Amino acid sequence: MATSAGNEGRFGAGAPLRQRDLPALAHGRGALTVLLCAAVLLSLLRVPWGDDLVRPGGVAMVGQVLGGMLKPDLAPEVLGKAAAAAWQTIAYAVTGMTVALAMALPLGALASGTLVRNPVLRRVTMVLARGSLGLLRAIHELVWAWLFVAALGLSPVAAIAALAIPYAGILGRIYADLLNDVPPQPVTALQTTGAGLAITFLYARIPLALPDMISYTFYRFECGLRSAAILSFVGLGGLGFQIQIALDDLLFGRVATYLLVLVALILAVDTWSSQVRRRLTQ
Amino acid sequence: MNLVTAPATGTPVQSPASGFLRASLGVTAVLVAASWWFILAGGGQAGAMAGGDSFDQALRFLRGFVGLAEDGTIARTRSGEALVPAYLQWDRWVVMAGLAIETLAMSVLAIALAGVGMLCTVLPAARTAATGVLLLGSPTWAGRVTYWLVRAMYILTRGIPELVWAMLLLFVFALGILPGALALGIHNLGIVGKLCAEVVEDLNPRPIQALRTSGASSAQVVLYGVLPQVLPQFLTYVVYRWEVIIRTTIVVGFVSAGGLGREFRLAMSYFHYTDIALILMVYVLLVIAVDLIGAGLRRLAV
Repeated sequence: MATSAGNEGRFGAGAPLRQRDLPALAHGRGALTVLLCAAVLLSLLRVPWGDDLVRPGGVAMVGQVLGGMLKPDLAPEVLGKAAAAAWQTIAYAVTGMTVALAMALPLGALASGTLVRNPVLRRVTMVLARGSLGLLRAIHELVWAWLFVAALGLSPVAAIAALAIPYAGILGRIYADLLNDVPPQPVTALQTTGAGLAITFLYARIPLALPDMISYTFYRFECGLRSAAILSFVGLGGLGFQIQIALDDLLFGRVATYLLVLVALILAVDTWSSQVRRRLTQ
Repeated sequence: MNLVTAPATGTPVQSPASGFLRASLGVTAVLVAASWWFILAGGGQAGAMAGGDSFDQALRFLRGFVGLAEDGTIARTRSGEALVPAYLQWDRWVVMAGLAIETLAMSVLAIALAGVGMLCTVLPAARTAATGVLLLGSPTWAGRVTYWLVRAMYILTRGIPELVWAMLLLFVFALGILPGALALGIHNLGIVGKLCAEVVEDLNPRPIQALRTSGASSAQVVLYGVLPQVLPQFLTYVVYRWEVIIRTTIVVGFVSAGGLGREFRLAMSYFHYTDIALILMVYVLLVIAVDLIGAGLRRLAV
């Protein structure tokens, strides 16, 4: 788990089982199965099943959509538009991520609780910092984008802020966990030499957590790229904007071209980041 | 990390890996500089950076959000009655609770689709299983082909954003939670599939190989060797994606796929800003509730 999936595995891995846990486990599994099946059944009942579930002519539309999708429009004009839109999407993702990073580092450090010695004060800063990180990431970037566009108009500030806020929440929370979970021996070794919290933080915790922090940030950059592409839905430019226009005009060949560019972009970043992660965490 | 200490001198010697990392650092720096230059030069949007009157505009928006008139006084109807903000009206809360349940149902259907789809496809998608290493078999052509087919399907489904899936599906389906759930489910199938295939690739092969050498059939190996090892981790990922999906349901709703998102879009187009405030409150409560349920599920699973 720790090697190739990297930090995506940071959501509580399975703890080793002991013999005496087994009956309790079986009980938990059974209850869980019933619970999950009931939830899915109840949700299925909320769907208005009936003849009007599919649009009139919807089935014929499938053929039209698929037919267009299989023939990407590769005219030079379309490819030029795709390249410009792709660059704009990258620029939004990169600028948004840099702002997110600047917000996540201090908040994450505070939320890790490793910078404050007084136990009461530490609890207070941790709860405050973790709470604000939770609020930052509770609302989806596209909702932020729409709110910012309503408040500021169509400005790149809206795009950058909309990306930066939820990503700061996600990054900050993971940074806090990583800074907290470093192996304790080097930290204790430094503390026994009389180093204070700030020195321990700078020279033990940060260097120990850095490879994982960078690797997680890279993984999130891939997600940020996808998020930046859909910001267009509220009117900000980029690949999603071109996709939307093409969909409105029923030009499915163009949709296919822009989607291919988006998938290729994400695949490239995915390959790059997994190479970086493999080298960092090996 | 990648520094190997040379025995004689004690000075760090770089392994080949750090050359790649250094190049990556350089590429990252260039990307950051070029992107900021592009945005600051006004390339981001025709409207360029926020101008002078955008502060007033933002203030007006915030006043509308909490239910004040544009000049900062209490909003009134034409006849002079004070307008009660939506978040102070009980019946609006009841309406939103109904929409929240619809949104929750959409997220459950989506994660069920992604989870079941993942369970059906994850084994051929694991390199160790496809090449036969896991089961002590020899690599087969069929195994290789299904590996690449399933991996390509994962890349395609997760590469296309859920919003675009929703827009495409709405050509076929009527408005409602089903196209939204399908869009979220398809997109998350690619993500959960990739994560879980890596779990299978990383699992300890010895118990499985022991089962195999003692004569277990493939079905028995999967049931008694693979599944018990991977299920807790699978469930962790599925629950984690469910928490992400509930945040995204509102976005899929923007294209009229039902639930809170659809109401958000309507309120935005009618400038009912206090409705927006109420929707956001319900949305955040829903997200918090799902996070708590998710934490409980994880405890049950492990």
